[in-house]
Amino acid sequence: MSLHEVGKRRHQAGIEMRVRGGAVYTHDIALPGMLFGAILRSPHPHAKILSIDTSAARALRGVHAVITSKDFGDRRYYQLGGSYSDRPPLANEKVRYWGEEVAAVAAETLAVAEQACALISVEYEALAPVFAPDDALGAQAPEIHGRENAPGGKNLAIRFSANYGDVDGAVAQAAFVLEDEFRHGIVAPSCLETNGTVASYDAGQGKLDLWTATQAPYFIRKEVAQAVGLDEKQVRIRSVEVGGGFGGKSKICEQEALAAMLSIKAKRPVKITLNRREEFVSGKTDHAKRVRIRTAVAEDGRILNRNVSVQIDNGAYTAYAPTYVGASRQRTTCLYRVETAHYDCDLVYTNKVPGGQYRGMGAPHTIWAIESHMDEIASRLKRDPLEYRIAQANQPGDVTPLKWRISTCGLTECLEAAGRMIGWDEKRKSSAPLRGVGVASMIHPSGGVIYQEGNFANTRIELTAEGRVIVHTQTADTGTWQNTTLAQVAAEALGVGTDDVFVSHMDTEDAPPDLGSAASRVTFVTGNATLRAGENLKAKILSALSRQWNCGVEDIAIESGVARHIYEPNRTADLLEIARLAGPLDAEGYFSTPGERPDPKTGEGNYAATYVFGAQAAEVEVDRNTGRITVLRMAVAQDVGRALNPTAVEGQIYGGVLQGIGMALQEEMVFEEGRPVNASFLDYAVPRIGSAPKIDIALVETDDPLGPYGAKAGAEPTINATIAAIANAVFHATGIRFKELPMSPDRVLSALEAKDGNKPALKPWKRVYNAEVATVRAMYPNVVFPALRSVGTKFARLPKKSKQPRTLVPGNANELVEFLSNKNTKSRIVAGGTDIFVGLKQGIYDLDQLVDVSRLPELQGISFAENDLSTLRIGAAMTLDKIARNELVARFFPSLASCISLIATPQIRRVATIAGDLCQEKRCWFFRSAFPCYKLGGPTCPCFAVLGDNRHHSINGAKRCAAPNPSDLAPLLSSLSACAVVVGRSGKRSIPIEELYLWSGLTKVGSDEVIEAIEIPLAPNTTASFEKFGLRQGDFAEASVAVRAQWANDSVSTLRIFAGAVSPLPLRAAKAEALLTGTRLEPDAVAEAAATIVEGSLPLEDNQYKVPLLINLTKQALLAARRRN
Amino acid sequence: MRIDFRINGIDRSLQLSGDEMLVNVIRERLGLRGTKVGCGNGECGACTVHVDGEAVCSCLYPAHRVAGRSVTTIEGLAPENALSPVQAAFVRHGAVQCGFCTGGMIMSASALLAQNAKPSEAEISHALAGNICRCTGYRQIIDAVLDASGQGNADSERP
Repeated sequence: MSLHEVGKRRHQAGIEMRVRGGAVYTHDIALPGMLFGAILRSPHPHAKILSIDTSAARALRGVHAVITSKDFGDRRYYQLGGSYSDRPPLANEKVRYWGEEVAAVAAETLAVAEQACALISVEYEALAPVFAPDDALGAQAPEIHGRENAPGGKNLAIRFSANYGDVDGAVAQAAFVLEDEFRHGIVAPSCLETNGTVASYDAGQGKLDLWTATQAPYFIRKEVAQAVGLDEKQVRIRSVEVGGGFGGKSKICEQEALAAMLSIKAKRPVKITLNRREEFVSGKTDHAKRVRIRTAVAEDGRILNRNVSVQIDNGAYTAYAPTYVGASRQRTTCLYRVETAHYDCDLVYTNKVPGGQYRGMGAPHTIWAIESHMDEIASRLKRDPLEYRIAQANQPGDVTPLKWRISTCGLTECLEAAGRMIGWDEKRKSSAPLRGVGVASMIHPSGGVIYQEGNFANTRIELTAEGRVIVHTQTADTGTWQNTTLAQVAAEALGVGTDDVFVSHMDTEDAPPDLGSAASRVTFVTGNATLRAGENLKAKILSALSRQWNCGVEDIAIESGVARHIYEPNRTADLLEIARLAGPLDAEGYFSTPGERPDPKTGEGNYAATYVFGAQAAEVEVDRNTGRITVLRMAVAQDVGRALNPTAVEGQIYGGVLQGIGMALQEEMVFEEGRPVNASFLDYAVPRIGSAPKIDIALVETDDPLGPYGAKAGAEPTINATIAAIANAVFHATGIRFKELPMSPDRVLSALEAKDGNKPALKPWKRVYNAEVATVRAMYPNVVFPALRSVGTKFARLPKKSKQPRTLVPGNANELVEFLSNKNTKSRIVAGGTDIFVGLKQGIYDLDQLVDVSRLPELQGISFAENDLSTLRIGAAMTLDKIARNELVARFFPSLASCISLIATPQIRRVATIAGDLCQEKRCWFFRSAFPCYKLGGPTCPCFAVLGDNRHHSINGAKRCAAPNPSDLAPLLSSLSACAVVVGRSGKRSIPIEELYLWSGLTKVGSDEVIEAIEIPLAPNTTASFEKFGLRQGDFAEASVAVRAQWANDSVSTLRIFAGAVSPLPLRAAKAEALLTGTRLEPDAVAEAAATIVEGSLPLEDNQYKVPLLINLTKQALLAARRRN
Repeated sequence: MRIDFRINGIDRSLQLSGDEMLVNVIRERLGLRGTKVGCGNGECGACTVHVDGEAVCSCLYPAHRVAGRSVTTIEGLAPENALSPVQAAFVRHGAVQCGFCTGGMIMSASALLAQNAKPSEAEISHALAGNICRCTGYRQIIDAVLDASGQGNADSERP
């Protein structure tokens, strides 16, 4: 078949509007009279609600509606129905996780709505929470739901177990059986556009309109209608742009029904947009899992039996986890030629954020477990992992243990292509240290019977009176280019150009029912419906034209948007002319997947219409000094049936692979008391541009007989094999098999150190105070923490969240001093504000006023100090970016410029100032999440870092607080012997930077003083260097080291070494300085001296990697200072 | 306080409260909604605009500081019905998926090219480190910026 539109590279539909900033997302909708909604969330992970008093909130001026669970009656979200309907739109009787929706308010402004939320008084009775699935299954565990929602037993939403084939017989024939266990935590889709909804209820018409960031208008309409008590026909989902989905927006989220109910009550449109923190705290995340695998292998390598046992953390409520159970069953039983299989799975309730759906539906992690295990099997068989996989690859015509009938299958070709592109044979043999290559495969259903509704699509295509072709679909293009590929399919079917076709998506009144853009279904299912609609419309056009032209339909051809009489070439009609001759026309197309509904007991059945295969190979490099894994290159080969638009598919591969890299190396939600402590893009770090590897792509076309023009699903499964390929490459590079994710530098460095048997001499007794700290820490779990947590925090003095300080802008230094002198107002100086403005949102400040000094002339400028040409003066409010680009700085203090280039991001460096970097608030994720800790709530409160996740905290010098000093400039400027010039009412004084701090985030600058400038003395014959390690691009340091060496002849006459981010104050390495003074900084001496920098350290449990990290950075910094000599 | 400033070439005078952020002025008061809020904490870069030609996060930039300065948003980057070289290169390379980060990404890339006409791939990576894109994996964005700076590789141009 010769194709004109399908298979061609076409621009993304609407891309010009997007690059101009003209695309309208839910966040951008503004309706006349629109109110703003805010949500009151639970401050407990598990508690009974005794009473809710909303009277004060209702009385607040500007408030139009306040809703609680009473407004929803006993209605719950439907989700998958039956016992899976376990979640009310607002908590009734009980809250089951920290952040659960308890009430909501609509008001004139968001600020008023938030203020009203704070006025709602909820009386709770705290219940014992349970966070780990193993604990939740224990006899002592509290019951999170009643039995009707936990049919598997207490806290068990599902317990599933099935055998496929003669399991015992297969195991009996095995040459060997291999066992493994893998675990991973919770990752989150993290769409750039947070969830949001605008709801507008017209009481007169009884109609509710919703603009909402969703992948599936079909399900939103159904859920919202039943939640608010309307008929589905009364609810209309409107078309809007959607800023990313990845599964996170594939079903009802929580704000839709709340916005709808608020609009019904307030009789005005209401907009709710979640902030980024809410998005992590309450949004749909992925699920955490434990995967145990036992494989029986024959002598010749055949997989006689694969036995997999999975435990899935459901969180507090069930969304689509039952299909998640199925998705994990599918991969474990069907990837490779498995002869028999066993699968069992527990889906366990815990008091954590409810798990939802995320790209791959668990496959990336499940396949990581299977494929890590496959590498182990190959190793046991002494076979090459790629060759072994090719020998076991699924083939066309295979029937899997789950009774999948594989039709088209390009897995062998994909494996071969991935190996070829990555240079497998050569790189596998090469013994380059800490470099490695790995490979992994994937399988993914295309057009599976995933829903109770089956899996169907309707598409309507219209030829308007103006000659436009419009495709109407209820699916939602969340950025996957589906509207582009659907336009190509419609264009191909009709014989018009893709540019002639406009796709109108999402509108439930405008388009016929379709289950939405999830589960890899649009290309295959909606694509087929669109193809049929196109064919049906074309038939109507031909029939109408044949009547007009008085000929047979077979006498007419339509090509490139022009109908032509085959035998009378002068007889033509373009689209406008066709519309004139034939009138406006439309046609619908319907498609339902021919897959079989799986047996509910076993999951058996030919679930999907066809199956997607692919292979990825990764090449990685591991930094022995820091534990950082860099993905150098990926090779991706995917059987896509046919690439409808190669540019679109490649974009999906680039994006899916990078999300997989995030899962493999850095993403994981961290909880304390069930509450996320890394609910921001800083701490839950998705990959930035520096993580993007080179990616080679091979699109394998198997021309699927059931796919539209041969196509299968393409976008979602691009992520499936990524973690596994990287993990196998890491094993090749290091010999270490990581069985927990992510493979973050802290874990990797610890594993490398353990493998090499390194044991740095910490000599904790060298710091006297450590004895006391160690004693208190030993008593923390059983005595100190429980007492302070339960009793002490009752006396905590926490900042009021709703309080907003006023901003004052002094015109000159005198005015500034005056502003600061009022003892009765709590002031803080703000210059860049990049830390304080964020801190205010975090709720860690109690301030009356901010004094903005950013434009004060006295705090500007970079020049040599007056009367002193040996000191460079940098105005305190100079931005980091201006300092780094200054000629004097570049000439005399290059280490300062290079240090700055490693701080934060370019946008932050353009506003953040030198004094602001020095004075920034302490960085501890418990403090920053406003936990009632010692530093936030006062002396009766505990430190949460002692027992919580303390990977970022101090290894040295901690007392009751373990927060490290996050400033990069503190150690750097200390090493340069710089001073802060401070002015106040009583005049000027100078404080050496190394003595500036009382504690992390706390300086000796008085409350009525301001830093005016930083002065750095020039020192002849010096070299300086700075080394920093942050876990991710743009991140704060986990450790940093600054060195300045002054040289006399060829040896060091004075040496200054300061470390940052490892202790509350900049840490001076006095012993190393003494050991190396007088030497030439030879490598052996440097190594020996660097090791002494950790003497006196007393690391916590998760930050021990900082010990070797600090030693290695010290070595690197010293050698760099030597090289520069 | 009242401030005078210029935005997308038009002089404006606005009454502000002291704590209002620039993004709020741009989106809610001037209705320029191409500037997006992805995090509100200066971490994602979707709100990036130019202040006197420098790319900054408007979500952490107090509005009063633009007094006497010139602000450019994504809507003001090119004349109506035209595309800037960076915008055109994003179209050519398919460097857009959901589009929510795109405006901020283009603002950062444009500021880079104004300072550094021929950036290397490493310099592009350094300059765009403050802009998160969750969809594209950044490859087509890197290609687009290279191309916009006249270092395009014809083979990598799509479609």
